[in-house]
Amino acid sequence: MLGNQVQGGLGTPGALSHAYVQHPPLRCDIPDIRGLFYDDANKFLIAPTADRILYWKIAPSIPSGPPNSDPVNEGPVLSVRYSLDHKVIGIQRSRHEIEFRNRETGVTCSKKCRADSETILGFFWTDCPTCDVILVKTSGLDLLAYEPQSHAFRLVESKKFNVSWYLYTHESRLILLASGMQCTMFTGYQFSAGGIVKIPRFEMMMSKTEANKPILAADDVHIVTVYGRIYCLQLDRVSTSLNLYRFYRDAVVQQCTLPTYSSRIAVSAVDNIIMVHQIDAKVVILYDVSLDSYAPVSAPLPLLVRGLPSNNRQASQTADSQSSAYGGTIYGDGWNFLIPDLICDAENGLLWRLHLDLEAIAASSSDAPSILEFLQRRKSDPSMVKTICLAIVRTIILERRPVTTVAKAMDVVLDSYSRLMKMGGGLPGVRQIHEQSQRLGGQPVEGSHVISQGTSPGPTVSPSVNPDQAGGVANRSAQANSGVDDGIDRATLNTSSDSDEITNVSGVTSQGKSGHQTSDAINKRQQVVGEDSRPLSSGTSMQHGQHAGSVAISPIEMFQSVFALVEDEMMGDPAYLTAVIMEFLRSASKAGLKAPPNLYVMMATLLARSNRYAEITLFVSNKILEPSKELAMQLMELGQQHPPTRKLGLDMLRERSLHHDYVAALLQDGYYLEALRYARKYKVITVQPALFLEKAVASNSAQNLATVLSFFCEFTPSFKTTSDFGRYRHILSEMV
Amino acid sequence: MGFSAAAAGDGAQLCVFDLRRGQQEGQELDKILFFHPADCPILLQLSVIGLCEGIVTFTRIFSPEEDCEVIESEKRSQVFYQAEPDIWMVLVVEKTKDNESTWRCGALQGILKEAHSLFTMFHGPIRTLLDRQPSAELARGHLRTFLTDYLSDFHVGKKLQFPTYRDSLKERGTIQMLTVPREVALEVQSLTTVLGSCLGNVTCQSLILFEDLLVSTTLPPDDTLNLYTYAVLRLTPRALSSNASSWSYLRKGTSVNAGPTSSSSNGTTAGERPLLREKFSKGKDGFVAPDFAATEVCGAVPLTPILWFQQAEERMYLCIYQHKSLTILLLIPASSLINREEGIAHVKKQMLENASQKIVTVEQKLTRGWGGENAYHVSGYRYLLVDPDRRVSRASPPGKVTTLAKDSLLALNRLRQEVDLEKSRYRRSDPCHDKDFEVCIRTKNNTWVIAKITRGRELYMALEKGGETLLYASTAVEKFSNRYCEGAFSTD
Repeated sequence: MLGNQVQGGLGTPGALSHAYVQHPPLRCDIPDIRGLFYDDANKFLIAPTADRILYWKIAPSIPSGPPNSDPVNEGPVLSVRYSLDHKVIGIQRSRHEIEFRNRETGVTCSKKCRADSETILGFFWTDCPTCDVILVKTSGLDLLAYEPQSHAFRLVESKKFNVSWYLYTHESRLILLASGMQCTMFTGYQFSAGGIVKIPRFEMMMSKTEANKPILAADDVHIVTVYGRIYCLQLDRVSTSLNLYRFYRDAVVQQCTLPTYSSRIAVSAVDNIIMVHQIDAKVVILYDVSLDSYAPVSAPLPLLVRGLPSNNRQASQTADSQSSAYGGTIYGDGWNFLIPDLICDAENGLLWRLHLDLEAIAASSSDAPSILEFLQRRKSDPSMVKTICLAIVRTIILERRPVTTVAKAMDVVLDSYSRLMKMGGGLPGVRQIHEQSQRLGGQPVEGSHVISQGTSPGPTVSPSVNPDQAGGVANRSAQANSGVDDGIDRATLNTSSDSDEITNVSGVTSQGKSGHQTSDAINKRQQVVGEDSRPLSSGTSMQHGQHAGSVAISPIEMFQSVFALVEDEMMGDPAYLTAVIMEFLRSASKAGLKAPPNLYVMMATLLARSNRYAEITLFVSNKILEPSKELAMQLMELGQQHPPTRKLGLDMLRERSLHHDYVAALLQDGYYLEALRYARKYKVITVQPALFLEKAVASNSAQNLATVLSFFCEFTPSFKTTSDFGRYRHILSEMV
Repeated sequence: MGFSAAAAGDGAQLCVFDLRRGQQEGQELDKILFFHPADCPILLQLSVIGLCEGIVTFTRIFSPEEDCEVIESEKRSQVFYQAEPDIWMVLVVEKTKDNESTWRCGALQGILKEAHSLFTMFHGPIRTLLDRQPSAELARGHLRTFLTDYLSDFHVGKKLQFPTYRDSLKERGTIQMLTVPREVALEVQSLTTVLGSCLGNVTCQSLILFEDLLVSTTLPPDDTLNLYTYAVLRLTPRALSSNASSWSYLRKGTSVNAGPTSSSSNGTTAGERPLLREKFSKGKDGFVAPDFAATEVCGAVPLTPILWFQQAEERMYLCIYQHKSLTILLLIPASSLINREEGIAHVKKQMLENASQKIVTVEQKLTRGWGGENAYHVSGYRYLLVDPDRRVSRASPPGKVTTLAKDSLLALNRLRQEVDLEKSRYRRSDPCHDKDFEVCIRTKNNTWVIAKITRGRELYMALEKGGETLLYASTAVEKFSNRYCEGAFSTD
């Protein structure tokens, strides 16, 4: 196995895996529980006992303490879902009955269906404006509205059609209803805060064998939400391939077919990366679809359990040894993959959260610009992303990669920063707009436009500043205006994605203040939404809050953490470093960013060191080296060996209206009459008269000395009372 | 062109001579390295050079440090330039009765200086040629072809026409720069980096021109100036198109003299007659190359010119690439190429592969921002700005200068002559310090001619139909300085 090779002592964990789960997991193997359920809307892991419902709120982070509990009536439990405001528990008791229990009053009511003609497939709560619960039956959908006063459900609308099975994720607010002989015909709805959107009927691709027509199973279809877009992955067992569809408002478009190495797959979304678990092969393949590229991020590699007590000093273990250490089997039969990034080992009662090993991914690629792009799109662990990015940039410079490569890397880093800055700004304000648009619930398209702008700071906070989302703002608005296709993900999907973003935003604010508690500043409905659909792993989103936007690297940080650090090592090849800095300046200018003056000082110094004074002159004159006092002073310093360069510095002082320094510099060069004239014009009184007088004496011209003396007598009335006056008048009288 | 024509002063004479040669009685002819016109009788040549030598020797008694600059006589001016120690270039120009022959000694000296600088760039110093071949055949051959080709630019009809007072708002021996926005300048530098890396480990130098204006350079100022001058004379799109149109009349005068040279010196290269007008043309690949069909040199492979850069102290091959208005001069260090033409072909290939896209982008951006030939016209002003440190100048476009009255131009010419004198006087007394001074003169028709030198930078201007007061003139300068020179000439 791969693991064995590396155990030999070669590698870092990074060489082994690009995704890991962190030990210890949440233990939910409480005796007496009757199975484990997952409420993806509220992110509750639910364990019913005979007369109670135990639940762990596993967002934003997996708790370590005991579960919460609610008393319920005895009876069988097929599924449990809390209402989005947590006031009502819905328990499916049988294929024909769902029981709703008010948590405060304990009052229950039931919703049943006709036992003869239909069965209940499931139900879920929605934040859609017209209804609260959707009942999925073999005969169609029932849209129910909840009336809290009477604790009753009113049927709002019934949608009739045959359903074989269905798939719903709260993250996407999308329900897919399978029908047909092979279950390949799909009807879809999105029930979001923006309203209900019907997705055109579509058929999924299934290869046929000679013998029979396979039937598509619910386990083989996965809805995945990344970058605020909704995709669907469908396993075609016959051809062992994976079809990727993307949902638009008015179309479902197959994007590509991905290879698989397993008859069973599971899908997770971690930090907008799609993880396709090849369960039989016990490996995971990562995809980053942000730029519509469907090549895997890296080769298939096993999943790692990090921090196992027995061997945490070792680089890695084989899957077997890991399994024995944690007591279960990696990709074992008991593993359930919960949306978006959780793994529940039902056999052993363990809950893990999936993580990306960004360091390992970064280390596995030598294509610096792409890997930087990849990293800049990541939301999780911004400080680590930043550290890795800076290290990459430093390394490619030190390795003297082609300037074009370095230039591309600079482009990536600075574009990302500038996008972030443009979108950044006051989060609270943004959130308000956001909420308004939600409450108004107006046209989803318009709303989504506003929202997507509003959400963009979400990235700022939770560094999701991926090029796509940013670009998306423009895209979306453009599309919103033109009113053309590309709907669902842009418009409706957005609604769901922005509710994710709300999560982030609100979560962030609250976390910034008080750790795990959610903010109550936000109205409750928002809060519910906020809690429910958090797509991020908790630990990371906390960090987002604390270091808002820190995934982006500012020009100043580039100077401090890259150029200043590599300067010494690059002394042997100043030309390369200047070329790199030039590319950096070009990128910065393209991104509308300013470079720190110190960088110009460094550049001028490097050029002077290789005797390229002519280029200093050229760059000062065409403002590539932007004028600043620091640069002016450095030019004067460098110009001690090269008078024209000194003059450049002097001119820069004058152009910057640094009068005192200009006068002092003129004096130093012996131009005391010129300095005097300048001092008179700009009323510079901070330079000591004695300095002028001294220069006049040094020039050995009585006439000039007399001029300077009489000037100061007029210019500074008190001058005549100073000792300087007496002294220099004496000198003058001796000269004459 | 017979004896009488030359003797009667039809046009001018240009000679180059070496005071270290021909010291013996009867060997005076050996001093002469070049004489134009070539068909001038030997006796006349000897008398011109004899006079010059006499003056040079005589003035050295009084002024061992400073060279004699000019002899003004009633009928002619003799302008001197000591190009290299003991190697003198003298230009003799005839005066006419009208004012048309009013010129400025400094401008004429500029021609000699330019000719010599260019010659050195292509052939190395004259002294080196003489040392290499004491018979001076090599030096004479090169000087003959080179200077003849150079002088062809001054031909107006059959006569040589040198700059007069009408050119007093021009400064030979300076570079005209294109002003570009920072963002474009950064793109250009990025291109320069790519160009520099065409050879791999050794950095190539480059000059980038747009139209006839310099955009960027990696060479030191003097080398930049020489190459820039050459490019504007022969390589830019405008120069190339005038090459094509003017070749016929040139061949008349020069081909006879040029013929023997290429065959006499062994290892004839394309660099031998770099100033021959019809020589270069742009190929399909975008590279401007010597056109061998026209120069009847045998051998199928076109050779890339090699240049000597004094300041950079390096011999480099010159590749010229042109894309629309953009001219790129790529310089490949000769020492880094083992196989000359193969290496150059490789560099060209690299350049096309790596830089094409950037070249197109840069050309587009420059074209978009280009204000045309009157881009640097400032209405109401006729000006010349010179920065001797950077060897850069900028002036009112020629079309605008011609609108000045003759009297204004004459006054300006006169003023510049005075300023030249003042400058050299001051340089003698204190070479380290710049001296500021300013002259404003009101001449006929309320025209102000102004010269102002501040911290080494020079500004000359003529303001016609101006006000009557000195305040008017100084305000005009102040305004101009603040708006166009970042306050460089503002009164302190």
